[in-house]
Amino acid sequence: MTEPMLSVRDLTVTYHGHGGAVPAVRGVSLELEKGGSLGLAGESGCGKSTMANSLLRLLPAGTEVTGQITLDGQDVLGLTPGGLRAVRWTSGAIVFQGALHALNPVQTVGDQIAEPMLVHETAKNEAAARTRVVDLLRRVGLPAARADAFPHQLSGGQRQRVLIAMALACEPHLLIADEPTTALDLMVQAQVLALLDDLKQERDLTLLFITHDLSVLTYACQRLAVMYAGRIVEEGPAWAVFESPSHPYTRALAAAFPTIGDRVSRMSPSGLGGDPPTPGQLPEGCPFHPRCPLAHDACLVAEPDLRASSQGGRAACILV
Amino acid sequence: MQRRRATAGRVWKQFRSSRQGMIGLGVLALFVLMALAAPLLADVRELNPVYARGAGNPQWGTPGQFPPLGTDHIRRSVWAQFVWGSRVSLFVGLAATILTIAIGSVVGIVSGFVGGKVDGFLMRITEWFLVIPFLPLAIVLASVLGRNVWNIIFVIGITSWPSTARLVRAQVLTVKQRLFVDRARSLGASGGHIVSHHILPNVMGLILANATLAVPISILAETTLSFLGLGDPSAASWGKTLEEAFVNGAITRNAWWYFLPAGLGILAVVLAFTLIGRTLEEIANPRLSRGR
Amino acid sequence: MSSWRLVATQPQTSGSDLLTIERTERGRGRFITRKVLGSVLTLVFVLVFNFFLFRVVQTDPIGSLFRGRNIPAERLEELRASFGLDQPMSTQFVYYLRETAQLNFGISYQSRRPVWDEIQSRIPATLALVGISSLLSAVIGTIGGIIAAWRRNTWKDHTITSSTMVFYSMPDFWLGMILLVLFAVVLGWFPVGGIVDAGSTETGIALLLDQLHHLFLPALTLTLAYLGEYTLVTRSSLLDVMGEDYLTVARAKGLRDVVVRNRHAVPNALLPVVTLTAINFGFVLSGAIAVEAVFSWPGLGKATADAIRGPDLPMLQGLFLLFSAAVIVFNLIADLTYGWLDPRVEQT
Repeated sequence: MTEPMLSVRDLTVTYHGHGGAVPAVRGVSLELEKGGSLGLAGESGCGKSTMANSLLRLLPAGTEVTGQITLDGQDVLGLTPGGLRAVRWTSGAIVFQGALHALNPVQTVGDQIAEPMLVHETAKNEAAARTRVVDLLRRVGLPAARADAFPHQLSGGQRQRVLIAMALACEPHLLIADEPTTALDLMVQAQVLALLDDLKQERDLTLLFITHDLSVLTYACQRLAVMYAGRIVEEGPAWAVFESPSHPYTRALAAAFPTIGDRVSRMSPSGLGGDPPTPGQLPEGCPFHPRCPLAHDACLVAEPDLRASSQGGRAACILV
Repeated sequence: MQRRRATAGRVWKQFRSSRQGMIGLGVLALFVLMALAAPLLADVRELNPVYARGAGNPQWGTPGQFPPLGTDHIRRSVWAQFVWGSRVSLFVGLAATILTIAIGSVVGIVSGFVGGKVDGFLMRITEWFLVIPFLPLAIVLASVLGRNVWNIIFVIGITSWPSTARLVRAQVLTVKQRLFVDRARSLGASGGHIVSHHILPNVMGLILANATLAVPISILAETTLSFLGLGDPSAASWGKTLEEAFVNGAITRNAWWYFLPAGLGILAVVLAFTLIGRTLEEIANPRLSRGR
Repeated sequence: MSSWRLVATQPQTSGSDLLTIERTERGRGRFITRKVLGSVLTLVFVLVFNFFLFRVVQTDPIGSLFRGRNIPAERLEELRASFGLDQPMSTQFVYYLRETAQLNFGISYQSRRPVWDEIQSRIPATLALVGISSLLSAVIGTIGGIIAAWRRNTWKDHTITSSTMVFYSMPDFWLGMILLVLFAVVLGWFPVGGIVDAGSTETGIALLLDQLHHLFLPALTLTLAYLGEYTLVTRSSLLDVMGEDYLTVARAKGLRDVVVRNRHAVPNALLPVVTLTAINFGFVLSGAIAVEAVFSWPGLGKATADAIRGPDLPMLQGLFLLFSAAVIVFNLIADLTYGWLDPRVEQT
């Protein structure tokens, strides 16, 4: 059996700020096979972006990170600063959410795509980098002339494509897409998803797709993991998790986001009330119990571990 | 009224926990006390050169010869000048600031609330004042008006209000956009009522923080104008002390005791107000403190 | 299931590209015109203000000019007529505009020479002093601000911020007096005032060195006094930028911390600083008045201080016009420079 592209074991991330210690990720473990695709879903504040950032150690100084992250055979948490910089963008790259703030406003888009190529010497000189930039732009569906544009001159969809092109600059093995379609309108979302899918096939990429929109993940990913309050509460094959979820939270999430283009599911109301818990102030026992329609007294006792569910996945609920 | 008292209490509690704020407040309190207690601290007769000669004071006496701060070229006590000068400097600084804030707030509120042509006109004037360099304008006005305390206060006030006006106007525009003003309007409230009950409370905090930061500017302005000879000869501020020290050769005589105290006084008071102002700003806008 | 894939195969049409570029060019031209016109208008307002203010005070400029001299009354009347002082206000104003355009600002009360001659001879000294001080305080202050922001809340930050705040809170001329006493009187390393040693007949390099020797203390004073503003603004601007996502992206690309700071953070943070530098230069020109007085530096500032003693109203009027014009011009330069540097500024 070949080594997985990405292996995360017992990852915990605790922020240390003015408000004290905030545990954003509390013991997450997952594995991604080479060429596989994993979707990570959850509401805002569940820790999925923190998880994504921790894979390349992009968290703010002073953040406590324990556990093990193995990317492309390297122990990320144990790397020296130099080693870490070498791994970034070449082993794994992140496609950030394309708000105007992810791109440097005073640099052209082409320069920003070319920058990692020159830093990691994937391109020998500026001319070679320029050629590759134009290639990448064309591949993501943008005209070559766009390379000289500034970020504010592009539309949201165009910026997202630039971020994808930029992520591919050093031909990474793992592509982490952090909410790449959020804040885009439905048409553009579909285009971006199709693009990611094509690129994945073409370059045999390993894909980690993070979003709060469950239905998007079912098209893009083989496996699905759902996060709540810093932990994975369900994971398994994408179709199984989405169509027959074992955890009550997943069930609610799936109901909240109707299938794209499926008029029937759009009509049925979603039922998830309340707000996700604040990371520093989790309820007793299972953190979902205040919002869970199936909660018992037993749910207040202890936080359930992941256990095998009927569909070949695992879920963290005592009812499984 | 109840709500305002509660807000004031909350602000004070936050202020109390800020070290820089409390230091500033402490220093300021010290100088205000000194200014108020001037007659107790220094004999006002020591400011009179005739009296000083009669009393046998030395000329250019060092602090060792004439404690605590020595004498000047006409035998007057420097300590007396320091104590009594604080009154003028603080008074002018505060009065000029009140004038600045008053004009600036009115212009800002009217401009922001009424909008349209009035706004455009007032903003044109404001921008014009902002472009004109302060010191030359103040010098020109002061030369034309004559050397007395009220003119100085007027000159500083009339040249400093624009930045306050701009800030207040921006805040008023923000407040105006909030829904409850529209609701009040639709309930039939008059413009005046809206201004006093909705706009003013929300703008007050900003005005207060701005005022605290405007006082040091006024004090420094008065100091500079006095140093250049535009101060009131009968109301000697710290700036006037510095002028007299310089003009009468304190530099070449190395009479450091003559000009050092006045400058230190200004520095201390300006820093105090700046610290207080920054603390108030941080309380009003907590995002600032995270960045600082 | 694959309905959305069909949508994705349609190509992106961007024929609007050319139009955007064209609009940008036109927008930029409009931007420049608007700013220049605005400055001219402000200058006109300054002229109007100047005229009316001094007319209000100078009820009898001819009388003031020849005060103390024994001139027969008819001669004074003749002079008044020749200056057009018996004409209505509007004619006088036109006359005033014409004279100003020809750089005729009247005669100085104190020296009896044309105001413009007096002003003109003083400009180089002030330019030298203010130019060097502005440059130094901009460079040192900006570097200090960058360090303070990047190492926020460490001892470096606190030291830099506190010390600049202290310098900024003291009267600049008082700082000058302290430096003067310390380095010129007590230690004797530098001269006590002026631009050259009295009675000196040096020329060439020796003259330049002597002038620089005299320049040192006043320049040091102004530099220290104005450092604070640059440090504060740079620090603040950089702190704002440091919260932006594109810095995380830059780090994610594998760039070193220093590179992230210098190539991504600082250029974005420096935009307001550049504007500040240009604007400041205009203001420091007039801000050096008190400092020049302390060091007897023969520039525009000292001329102003001397004119106050009169009061030499024609000189004050001329100087005020010059100082205002300088600020207006440098504000315009600042606006245009910012428009050129920041690619986001393009539309009307």
